[in-house]
Amino acid sequence: MINLLWSGFIFLVLLSGCGWNGTPTRNNDFIPVTSIEISAISSTIAANTSTRLSVKGNFSGQFTRDITDQVVWSSDAPTVAGFVIGAVPSRVTGIAPGSATLTATTGGVSATYTLTVSSATLSKLTISPADPFIAKGLGTQFTVSGDFSDSTTQDMTFDATWASSASGVATVSNDAVNKCFLQTLAVGTSTITATFAINGVSDSTLLTVTAPSIRSIELSPTNPSVLTLNTRSFKATGTYSDGSTADITSRVTWNSSNTVTATIAGNGTATTLAQGTTAISATLDGVSQTTNLKTTGGNLTAITLTAAGTTPVGSNITLASGTNIRMTATGLFNNGSTRDISGVVLWSTANPNLATVTLPAGNMIFLNAKAATPATTVTVKSGSGSVTATATLTVTATTLLSIAISPVNLNMTAGTTDRVKVSGSFDDGTTQDLTASDGTMLASSNTSFASVGNSSTELANKGRVGGITTGLATINANYGNLSAPVPASVNVTAPTVVNLAISPATPTVATGNMIQFTATATFSNGTSQIVTEDTVWTIDNPNIAILADSLNQPGQVVGVDGGTATLTASFLGLTPSPSVTIIVTP
Amino acid sequence: MKRSCLLIMTISLPLLLCGQVMALHSGPYIGMAIGGNALMNARSSDDLGDFGLTFNPALQGSAVLGWDFEPGNPVGEGRVELEYTRRSNRLDHVKFVEGSFNGSGKVVADSLLFNCFGVFHNDSRWAPYAGLGVGAVRIEASELKVNGQPMGNGTDVVFAYQFGGGIDFAISDHLNLDLGYRFFSSIRPAFSEANGRKFEMEYINHSALLGLRVGF
Repeated sequence: MINLLWSGFIFLVLLSGCGWNGTPTRNNDFIPVTSIEISAISSTIAANTSTRLSVKGNFSGQFTRDITDQVVWSSDAPTVAGFVIGAVPSRVTGIAPGSATLTATTGGVSATYTLTVSSATLSKLTISPADPFIAKGLGTQFTVSGDFSDSTTQDMTFDATWASSASGVATVSNDAVNKCFLQTLAVGTSTITATFAINGVSDSTLLTVTAPSIRSIELSPTNPSVLTLNTRSFKATGTYSDGSTADITSRVTWNSSNTVTATIAGNGTATTLAQGTTAISATLDGVSQTTNLKTTGGNLTAITLTAAGTTPVGSNITLASGTNIRMTATGLFNNGSTRDISGVVLWSTANPNLATVTLPAGNMIFLNAKAATPATTVTVKSGSGSVTATATLTVTATTLLSIAISPVNLNMTAGTTDRVKVSGSFDDGTTQDLTASDGTMLASSNTSFASVGNSSTELANKGRVGGITTGLATINANYGNLSAPVPASVNVTAPTVVNLAISPATPTVATGNMIQFTATATFSNGTSQIVTEDTVWTIDNPNIAILADSLNQPGQVVGVDGGTATLTASFLGLTPSPSVTIIVTP
Repeated sequence: MKRSCLLIMTISLPLLLCGQVMALHSGPYIGMAIGGNALMNARSSDDLGDFGLTFNPALQGSAVLGWDFEPGNPVGEGRVELEYTRRSNRLDHVKFVEGSFNGSGKVVADSLLFNCFGVFHNDSRWAPYAGLGVGAVRIEASELKVNGQPMGNGTDVVFAYQFGGGIDFAISDHLNLDLGYRFFSSIRPAFSEANGRKFEMEYINHSALLGLRVGF
């Protein structure tokens, strides 16, 4: 083992020691320049105009390089042509008609250039581009060409004076270094004018600054991992030419490169269908951005239906008319994983007049028995419809004889919750959980001390008792004209929470599988209580693990992809909040 | 240069994967070694940017003075030694923005390192070893030129380190043949350019050597 460690360590060192193969950023100035050459756009310029000279150096015949910025300039006739613009030393200005010999010197090497200054006068200026449309925030370089009395033309961009009629819309620079660089500032129009100050010749063009154009798109999340049969919403944020940003999720065109793996809707919501990877792209006005979506957790091969409190897998379900039962669909995937997919499959019944399905939220599904019938079917199928499961429901016309509430004694801590269950006994000798049924009514004798969930629109909370503050209350249950003979007594105390423990402490779960965590609180009076439902659970990396259903299955986690994620439990403001590291195996 | 680096790595790494043996000698020893070294392409930097120096492979020589620990020593089975090595590599070419240019001159490194090697003995006369060393190196850039034009000169003394391994062959109780590999590097020495600027140069060296140690 030691040998192997040594080998690995040294191999890493060697890999980092194979020398530099980068791109040089330094010029070779060790080889001397042996000759230089001056060039200009034109060897003749009109008086009161200028032109820029360039110098190319020859380094001992080995290579050439532009060294314009490294030479020193001089003129033998400064009254004819001179270097009078300090900010741009290589720009020569014609002072008066005549001829001048210009000299560039560097490192003891010189070259000359003969410049003729004519007496031609400017007759016309022409700005380019003409009447342009430029998006707000963009900058562009304008130029102006001059026609002279001797039929020559000359670039007059530097020698003209530039102006913008609406400086709030666009500005144009007269700075020697950035001459005629136009910057758009606001949507609108502005007249851009170039004027040759010597004789007043000018030209103008109408600039239209359009709405900002999109320059880039940012997608979030980037490179997510998502379980199959799930959805993930992508957000597109655009950055515009004026530097502004906006949510453009609904404006872009979404595309998935592999629709077998995942599809994506126009609102940016991707639906994962099969394990694999697809490129999700968003495009607007020719600008696009792409991120990879990795679909994990295997492909669905079978679905198992379970009714709460009954035998699973294809069993017959019997319900009394007017009652309901919670259903669960468990998916079996080809990577061997199983997980609750109740909230992502499609539920239906053969005859909605006999039975219906209610989907309050998340993975909570209720099957409602409407009218007595020998039998009807409940069917679920995957989004693609390729995998289905069916259960048979028989609705009986039995008569409810009595109801009971359990447990009859609840000792609770303020700020926590517990649950009561309402059971019904029927004349055919059967019993059934009626807690979530529409006909069941629950009430607290003193809502200042304890509350109880009774809403038919929040079935997840029906029967959930909440401790408010120190005191005694009773929870009464009614169903029609029947009442539970013994109400549940609730004793609420208010000790301080001193510790919260998460179990398991060293969790490992395979990709696609679920793992249930439990939070146990210890209070200042020495008691402890399982508070999993009252704990706020968070996970730091949804690409590795997610909460299965934070509403209906608190503390239940599903592995998404190989790696580690941190699960944190927050309870009654206890700090610091405890956390565990979840290892998800691929 | 990368090819030679990979070749040395390929040859040397299997030497580290051998099994256990007994030591034949304990106590002081002296030794000498000769071999070949490859000075890797060196990124050199000054305030104008980065340029690359490429060197020719060359011979090297070493002398060591050390101590073999006896078998079962609580410190571990192996040896410690003081090693002097001279490496001298000629500049082959220099790479700038404009391209690659012929180079001349040489870079000479005289290092003095304190080495610790663990030896993995077995029942045969062959015993693989691996270890590391730290110390100082005096690196001299001598008449470095590019296309015949002076480029740089100078001497600097900097911290140096090496990792190495190899295999010992016990010729007798007091005589060992050593076939080894060394990865040697230092922090970047600074030299003077012909134009007066300072430049720093990477120094990363791979070497293979054949040595003889005599124990007392």
